[in-house]
Amino acid sequence: MAQRDASHESDHDRITDTNDVAVESAVVADELQLSYPSSDETIVDVARLDVPEGAVTALVGPNGSGKSTLLKGLSNHLAPDHGDVRLWGESVDSFGDKALARALGVLSQENESPGTITVEDLAYHGRYPHRGFFESVTDADREAVERALEMAGVEHLRNSEVGQLSGGQKQLAWIAMVLAQETDVLLLDEPTTFLDLHNQFKVLETVRQLNERTEVTVAVVLHDVAQAARFADYLIALRDGQLYDWGPPEDVVTEQLLADVFGVEATVEYEPELQVLPRRALPDDRN
Amino acid sequence: MASAHSDAQVSETAEDRGWLTGDLVFFCLACTAVTVFAGLIQVSFGAFTMTIEQAWRAVFNPQVVFNLNAWEAFMFGTELPEMNRRSLIVWNIRLPRVFVAAIVGASLAVSGAIFQAVTRNELASPYVLGVSSGAGLTVLLTLVVFPSVTVAIPLLFGTFTFNTTSLLPLLAALGGTIAFLLVYGIAWKGGTSPVRLVLAGVIVNMVFQSLQRGLFFFADDLGVVQSALAWITGSLTGTGWEQVRLAIIPATIAILLAVAGARQLNVLLLGERTAQSLGMRVERVRFMLSGVAILAASTAIAVAGIIGFFGLVVPHVVRIVLGSDYRRLVIGCVFAGPALLVVADVGARLALSPVQIPVGVVTGVVGGPYFLYLMRKQESMGDL
Repeated sequence: MAQRDASHESDHDRITDTNDVAVESAVVADELQLSYPSSDETIVDVARLDVPEGAVTALVGPNGSGKSTLLKGLSNHLAPDHGDVRLWGESVDSFGDKALARALGVLSQENESPGTITVEDLAYHGRYPHRGFFESVTDADREAVERALEMAGVEHLRNSEVGQLSGGQKQLAWIAMVLAQETDVLLLDEPTTFLDLHNQFKVLETVRQLNERTEVTVAVVLHDVAQAARFADYLIALRDGQLYDWGPPEDVVTEQLLADVFGVEATVEYEPELQVLPRRALPDDRN
Repeated sequence: MASAHSDAQVSETAEDRGWLTGDLVFFCLACTAVTVFAGLIQVSFGAFTMTIEQAWRAVFNPQVVFNLNAWEAFMFGTELPEMNRRSLIVWNIRLPRVFVAAIVGASLAVSGAIFQAVTRNELASPYVLGVSSGAGLTVLLTLVVFPSVTVAIPLLFGTFTFNTTSLLPLLAALGGTIAFLLVYGIAWKGGTSPVRLVLAGVIVNMVFQSLQRGLFFFADDLGVVQSALAWITGSLTGTGWEQVRLAIIPATIAILLAVAGARQLNVLLLGERTAQSLGMRVERVRFMLSGVAILAASTAIAVAGIIGFFGLVVPHVVRIVLGSDYRRLVIGCVFAGPALLVVADVGARLALSPVQIPVGVVTGVVGGPYFLYLMRKQESMGDL
């Protein structure tokens, strides 16, 4: 699944994964160091990080490993202390705010909206970066919103108020908003965390279908490594703000990784398909 | 022809998107009707007695309504043309007060609506970022410390003299603006956040209000205290065309900017991070929208003093009828604000006639319980 056709030439950043398959990267972080203005502590420090184009990449790691911070850095919500983030070879800094929002969509972990806004109106907000200050809705906006509602599977809810929806429906409504942005890259911060199992699958399947239909590049933070292993083309494992490993799930997910990164003893089965069976927590002082 | 085509398309789009709906139009028309009706009542009664018929005939007196000279006098303060006594009283004394009330009402309602979105706080009022206390303090300083100081500035030809009291409206607006900038400065730490803004507003309001109260002790004249109190509670007594002239331009600008910025307000309500990921420069938009709201609020303060409660309640009333979409809400406020303040001012001027009470007292006394009633009746009250 990870093998991508890398035959056509382009000036995109390239890297080879663990199987020596060349991969084109939509987003590249180079020597990236991130911290929050309120403290001096460096939260994320990665030498190089790639989000391969047209694939689904999952960022995994335990709580506090810097996944969300990394996502903020990639989306230019947090200015790096050092290094830079490139989108198709161009620094994200060189994009204007709206131009970046047309190229790269971000969905935060928790979203609040006025409860009375309808799903359709929410999706129309996704058109914000495509509209000028005084511009009204165009046909292109309408088509984009229709496509987004359809892909997110919330067409039937278009006139429902967001405040009345269940958690899963709400998340899909927000996904519809990001889809209406029509970006080539999507960064999703733990879109499944507060959902029940059914809705977790629904959201992930939506993202998967979207990736297959539109070739959109997806980077998604997931805290369930087993889920990430089944769902993503590539995994990026973070530990203490540093890149622990990167590559297709079959290569990345090992018993060693689960012990080192997540602090659990687990069995990993590769046949017939990749499966992670966590056993127990390792003692905290194992290091 | 091209423009006609695009106009048609725009209105069609607006209807497609479902915000310019029948209920919004109906709401605005109803508010206009209330404004006109309350205005007619206001001009019909007063110290100079005339029948309702006489008063209304004076209002629609074609010799005034279609007289360019008269309008020039109202709008630019030139010499009034000849008109009969009733027309003079209606047009020169009673009607401008209605206009001032309408302008102030619209400004305060829009200002409150903006601040509720900018701070994402349903309890925000136009005064949340310090405008009222800044204006109040300047007013007291002017009245108590520099009462009627006449300042003479020598110019090349003659001297330009003015009295501090006559500059009170402008000084109040200036004080309000300074307080707002102070609040922003305190809240700024590599950026602001709604919570920090509100907290900084509370701090500045507290300090300035204490200073204000302190200044009352230095007022040795009851008249000074009364006129200071009238300022601080908000009053439309004695307002005329001069106040209309003073307020109409900044209020119009602020309202137009607010209507134009309604979509930005909607996006701000989605939260800072979402707004940012949609490509909004959140800090800049927030500061500019706050500036628009401050312009509206200080315009209102400059002509009517600090009318409390009004800018907090009206957006909620409109929200209950029209929902929380700011494209509808702002327009609703532009119509509901005048209606409610003109009505309140009828009460302030006529309820205890011949004594006039400050309209701020009416908005507080009537608005409070009404707000309470809404709060008990509506399950989702306060939801932005």
